[in-house]
Amino acid sequence: MAYHSPYRAPPPNNVAQDQTFLWNIFQRVDKDRSGVISDSELQQALSNGTWTPFNPVTVRSVISMFDRENKGGVNFSEFGGVWKYVTDWQNIFRNYDRDNSGFIDKNELKLALTGFGYRLSDQFYNTLIEKFDRQRKGQVAFDDFVQCCIVLQRLTDVFRRYDTDQDGWIQVSYEQYLSMVFNIV
Amino acid sequence: MAYPGGYGAAPGGHATLQQDPLYGYFSAVAGQDGQISADELQRCLTQSGISGTYKPFSMETCRLMVSMLDRDLSNSLGFNEFKELWQVLNGWKSTFMSYDRDRSGTVEGNELQHALNSMGFNLSPQAMNIVMKRHSCEGRIAFDDFVGCCTKLRALTDQFRRRDQRQTGAATFQYDDFIQVTMSI
Repeated sequence: MAYHSPYRAPPPNNVAQDQTFLWNIFQRVDKDRSGVISDSELQQALSNGTWTPFNPVTVRSVISMFDRENKGGVNFSEFGGVWKYVTDWQNIFRNYDRDNSGFIDKNELKLALTGFGYRLSDQFYNTLIEKFDRQRKGQVAFDDFVQCCIVLQRLTDVFRRYDTDQDGWIQVSYEQYLSMVFNIV
Repeated sequence: MAYPGGYGAAPGGHATLQQDPLYGYFSAVAGQDGQISADELQRCLTQSGISGTYKPFSMETCRLMVSMLDRDLSNSLGFNEFKELWQVLNGWKSTFMSYDRDRSGTVEGNELQHALNSMGFNLSPQAMNIVMKRHSCEGRIAFDDFVGCCTKLRALTDQFRRRDQRQTGAATFQYDDFIQVTMSI
């Protein structure tokens, strides 16, 4: 099952990042030169392959993951993590976009999520695509794919926290259930 | 000669589909395919002015509502589903308005707690905080966000109850089930 599988975030890359390379990128993205890349600056720098703006919810998710100071953006040191995270997701996306359409269709999504260790019904994939596909194509673009995986991961993390004996079952009160999921879905 | 305002339906009988005053409205919104999608619902609710503001009705709420009432898993609403939605919405609108004393189109945090209690949701202060964090803007909640919140609560409560048949107050979830059920909201 997904949270017993080795899949978590993409595995750590041991090659030291070229700081100059990263700094050049950072400066280009940090348009107002504030030293912090905001949600909107990151959104403008990212592409989802559709010529429409990158999903702002995904942008927010990513920034909040790396923003250690709750300042609503990332500084240069945090940006290294963001860059790597996005690049790793781009590689994953390209890997599963078997027909190179720039979109992940239902079957490709099934392969991806099953590969990550999730066991989900066929019907549920329809639900996932309906829920995350902002382009209304019946397939997910890069930004929506990432958001879908982020939400699945969040649910997995919260489930894990309650599954103290790690048997894949939890027992929760109504209040606990609400507090677990209300902010994720 | 037809009675003024009447169509000659037998006294006490149900109006047929075409005679239901809501049906004309439904058809206009649903268009060719006879089903209302989340996008069509959003346009219809924005135009109806039911939220009492000029802002477009929340897309997220529309998606939640279609998901809540979509019995045949078509990801859209047929006429009966739409009719049920309309009734539920009007009920929630009355509740909302009774708490929106200054007719601003928004309700305050503590009033939201009373409103939810009156609808049968008994949430602890902690749970209320979580709800407010997610749905309010500067301590106030607009009608479409209120609807989104009620829809989510209703759906989550249903899911919980189904796994607590004996009403012990504790529900059991298996991991794969938890993921799918929670994401289907």
